[in-house]
Amino acid sequence: MWKFIVRRLLITSPQIIFLSLLVFVLASFMPGDALTGAIGPDVKAERLAELREELGFNDPWYIQYKDWVAGILQGSLGESFQYKMDVEDLIWQRVINTFWLSLVSVIFIYAIGLPLGILSGRYNDTLLDQLITGYTYIGFATPIFIFGLVALWIFGYILGWFPTGGSVDPGVESGSIEYILSKLQHLLLPGLSIALIGTVSTVQYLRSEIIDTKQKDFILTARAKGASERRVYNRHIFRNSILPIAAFFGYEIINLINGTIFIEQIFSYPGMGQLFLDSIVIRDYTVVTALVLLTGIGAIVGALLSDIILSLVDPRIRIK
Amino acid sequence: MSKSLFGKFLFVLMLAFVLLIAACNSDEGGEDSSDNDGDDTEQNESDDDDSDSDSDSDQELYSIDDFESYTGEGDAIDGGSLTFGLVSQSPFEGTLNWQFYSGNPDSQVLSWFDESLLQYDENYNVTNEGAASYEVNEEDSSITFTIEDDVKWHDGEEVTAEDWAYSYEVIMHPDYDGVRGSSAGFAYLEGAQEYKAGEADSISGIEIEGEKTITFNYTELTPSLLTGGVWGYPMAKHVFEDIPVEDMASSPEVREEPIGFGPYKVENVVPGESVTYSKFEDYWRGEPNLDEVTLKVVSPSNVANALETGDVDLVDSFPADQVVDNIDMPNVQWLGMTDLAYTYIGFKLGDWNADEGEVNYKGDEMKMGDKKLRKAMWYAVDNETVGERFYNGLRWNGTTLIPPSHPAWHDDSIETPTYDEDKANELLDDAGYKDTNDDGYRETPDGEELVINFASMDSSDLSEPLANYYIQAWDKVGLNVQKLDGRLHEFNSFYDKVGQTGEDDPNVDVFMGAWSVGYDVDPSGLYGRDALFNFTRWANEENDELLAEGLSEEAFDTEYRQDVYSQWQELMVEEVPVFPTLYRAMMVPANERVVNYDISVGSGVYLYELGVTQEEPVVE
Amino acid sequence: MSENHSHKDIEQQVSEQQKEQEVQKSPSGLRIFWREILKDKLALISLIFFVLVSMIVFGISLILDLDEVVKIDPFAIHQPPSDEFLLGTDKGGRDVFGQLIIGTRNSLAIGFLVTLISGAFGIIFGVVSGYFGGHIDNFLMRIVDFFMVLPFIMIIIVFVTIVPRYSVWTFSLIMSAFIWMGIARLIRSKALQERELDYAQASRTLGSSHTSIIFKQVLPNITSLVVVTMTLNLAANIGIESGLSFLGFGLPEDTPSLGTLMSYATNPTTLEERWWIWAPAAALILVLMLAVRNVGEALKRAADARQRRA
Repeated sequence: MWKFIVRRLLITSPQIIFLSLLVFVLASFMPGDALTGAIGPDVKAERLAELREELGFNDPWYIQYKDWVAGILQGSLGESFQYKMDVEDLIWQRVINTFWLSLVSVIFIYAIGLPLGILSGRYNDTLLDQLITGYTYIGFATPIFIFGLVALWIFGYILGWFPTGGSVDPGVESGSIEYILSKLQHLLLPGLSIALIGTVSTVQYLRSEIIDTKQKDFILTARAKGASERRVYNRHIFRNSILPIAAFFGYEIINLINGTIFIEQIFSYPGMGQLFLDSIVIRDYTVVTALVLLTGIGAIVGALLSDIILSLVDPRIRIK
Repeated sequence: MSKSLFGKFLFVLMLAFVLLIAACNSDEGGEDSSDNDGDDTEQNESDDDDSDSDSDSDQELYSIDDFESYTGEGDAIDGGSLTFGLVSQSPFEGTLNWQFYSGNPDSQVLSWFDESLLQYDENYNVTNEGAASYEVNEEDSSITFTIEDDVKWHDGEEVTAEDWAYSYEVIMHPDYDGVRGSSAGFAYLEGAQEYKAGEADSISGIEIEGEKTITFNYTELTPSLLTGGVWGYPMAKHVFEDIPVEDMASSPEVREEPIGFGPYKVENVVPGESVTYSKFEDYWRGEPNLDEVTLKVVSPSNVANALETGDVDLVDSFPADQVVDNIDMPNVQWLGMTDLAYTYIGFKLGDWNADEGEVNYKGDEMKMGDKKLRKAMWYAVDNETVGERFYNGLRWNGTTLIPPSHPAWHDDSIETPTYDEDKANELLDDAGYKDTNDDGYRETPDGEELVINFASMDSSDLSEPLANYYIQAWDKVGLNVQKLDGRLHEFNSFYDKVGQTGEDDPNVDVFMGAWSVGYDVDPSGLYGRDALFNFTRWANEENDELLAEGLSEEAFDTEYRQDVYSQWQELMVEEVPVFPTLYRAMMVPANERVVNYDISVGSGVYLYELGVTQEEPVVE
Repeated sequence: MSENHSHKDIEQQVSEQQKEQEVQKSPSGLRIFWREILKDKLALISLIFFVLVSMIVFGISLILDLDEVVKIDPFAIHQPPSDEFLLGTDKGGRDVFGQLIIGTRNSLAIGFLVTLISGAFGIIFGVVSGYFGGHIDNFLMRIVDFFMVLPFIMIIIVFVTIVPRYSVWTFSLIMSAFIWMGIARLIRSKALQERELDYAQASRTLGSSHTSIIFKQVLPNITSLVVVTMTLNLAANIGIESGLSFLGFGLPEDTPSLGTLMSYATNPTTLEERWWIWAPAAALILVLMLAVRNVGEALKRAADARQRRA
């Protein structure tokens, strides 16, 4: 097992290097740079030119890449020009927010998806199943941003049940119980929005999985032996169907990151996705690079996680 | 197999919905006419309909003259708290120091707790109303400032001349990496360049004459110094002295516990999201009215809802394309002032000579080189209609390159081209631009195809409709104008194309962008011969002379300077390297309970007077 | 976020493939699809609806003058639906109905193009990788792995800011470049299985060339899988396109798409009061995606059934 993990990590390290190269090459093609936004009648072009030279914006991408690698070796991801602070500090501030949002979303996804999937699978072709299936159809077809906008409008503004932006109430002392509650409150609506749309694939998958398993021989045997229906479902069917879902947990991370980009934008939630979009617009390359890499690493770790779970769950899939 | 009945039902429902939408439309017209009398006739006339028979509420016209910049004086309650919405799609950067901040969001956060020692009047001239007063010593080209006695930092320390000098030393420090330090106050300051190059330990031109008195010695005096040129923000030396300059911007003293001497002090910063302030009782003008101010970021798509529900009382700005939709919001009063900005259309008339550091005007070689062609393009566009229809009058036809936000300098007596298709055609015919091959478009006087490439900045929801509208207008007078690359350009790529680094994209012929103008009216940063941001690359001797005269010592005489700038505005109308399209109103909504607040400069109403008339925001 | 559905679906199928070990050659793949669709009324209606919409949209847009549709009319801004403007007008006084037609066409075109390009590339990649196996497979799969972990929404956004001319074509190419991996993986795992089966082994011993084995024997046997995956991808691609438009990285307004129409809903007044601009587009996306999905599900069932029968 450990051999496998080490091997996988070895395989993935070139991926990270490729990714970082790709980002630098792409960045060199992007028009403008972090100083473009400063253009105005009160700013002298000479000052901008001077800063460009100083900050190395004029260097070709491979020189910038070399400097960047040198920085990494010294444990620094560089400084954000726009935020005037170290990239790692900046990203840390935001990653934490995105992490909580993702966590809450994942919890909701499974809290909603598992019961619905099980119900729908167990009582398939009943009215209940049709209702649930109907929901998954709508969920499948609704773009998350429309859903988010409408949810914010209705529950945030019209009903006023949830805060409408930010990650915490202004002025709450960091670390207090109040602070944690406020954080949580700010997570509910965006988290639910992601989950209600994101969970439909889990529901559908679980449903078809259960319907499939129901007809498998070992279930029929268990029934024949007189096991109670409840026992059959809890012990056999559910356990069998849930395992692959656990295995896809890692891949879920990639999807969540994509989903948070939209939701953070709508709910003005200061997370990574929002930081990425801003940094692209203002060409804060150090941040863009770091974020793309970080997300890439997250995806790699997620995939690794999935493979490990999968191998634990299903001995048929051997790890070489 | 799932033969989902419900799925089927749902699908049919959806189908029905779509059909319904399609089918409803014929009824829709009828239904709508109840609140929209004469809907059908209105449709039919809509093309030539300028009159007010157009009763659609969307098309009501407003004018900046209908709005005050002042909420009015009211019975403010003692204390109270207020929520200020910072309208921004992104979090604020959190560089909470005037020396280091880089964007408008941060400056909004800053202005609650720190201010300039200098106060300006409505023409953006320095007055003696601020925390410091000035005296010009013409014989030795210096200005002496004296800070009021009771001006104190939030920690109780006095704001001293040394603090002011310190901010200069930080900005001119070789390790400083912000964009400030090029305004007249630095450029003309004696010894500043030596200090910056590391050749001197201090700036020789700054003399500290006492705890509260400071003199700046300049190489020469220019009126720009007193119209925004002098850097008026002190920096608390006792707080920052031990921090190396390169670490200042990321220090907690800037980001988490910033200090200032403004009416409110920072209590708590949630990075990027919100700031809470409490009143600073020892504020030098007097004790502020409110106990507490909360600032939070609100995204442009939520701000209208936030105001309506009382979630925020006041905002820094309001998205221009949403103003009219919300102007009838019952619990809100709208404040307005002429914005310090204008939209323009410019013509490429040369390129940048990097060696000389000046524009290389080559009018005759360029596609847009003919003055008549440029003028015809001005005549061809109907900016009045654009302002009325797209902005309901809250943007209006621009005339000269100094906007009316600077009333002392804007010359409204100058005759400028306004929409006149015949005139445009006439000018083009005159100049020899005729359709010689009957393709519906005019050819150049030499008989070659004329395709004009138009680069337009994508800056708001309406950028694309506007760009298309202008192209249609030019099409009508027979000019074949095409969007460069077939799309709009976001600001990075726009400025790259028009030449922010001196490498102009040769494909750009015409471009549309916007400038915000500073307090200082001097246009040489945008239109001077040696200005890189003079994207048209146009220059002539008269222009050089006028711009120089506007900065000369004689120009301290306001009338003289006014005359110079009137001549300059007229010259630009005559030569048309650029023409302004729209001036704009800045509209700021405030909850009904907000009083004693003024958004304009030089009104004599100060932030510490701001108050509320009741504890809770007015809703509905 | 709709892309995750297709992703999940693919994963799901992979695992199903893994379970269904015994796969049999069947000559009449398409006919079984057809039969399954005829049997499932919902899928049939969906298919008819989808084809009808496509025909209408492509048909009308042949007659419709794009310049006329995107013409700015400052005197007709934000008009509600009327006889003149069937679905009212937008912020530029442009006819929403015309934009809806052209937008649907563009969105469908993008959906088709992306599905085709990424599908074709993914199939070739997957078949080659799976069929040849060994080092080639190993190497190709590393490439797939690399693309799989790319934060593709982010990279697409970066690409979009770089390309100078941004049209349906460039957009489709960019999108395709980042979503072919799912199909490639799927096809590869399938091809790996096929390769081991008797007929392929047999032909190889009989001396058939690789290409002929791939095209004549391996490919036809995985058509069902390909059709299913691509159908479901079509729905996801339309979703991604509209999402990017919403973030401001979509197509220019002169090239309307369902996404651009919906992204107008970011203006709160448009969202709350001017439903005619975005709601028809939203409803159309919903219905189109449902229709595509229904067909896809039926196809999937057919594919499964075919396997079970053996």
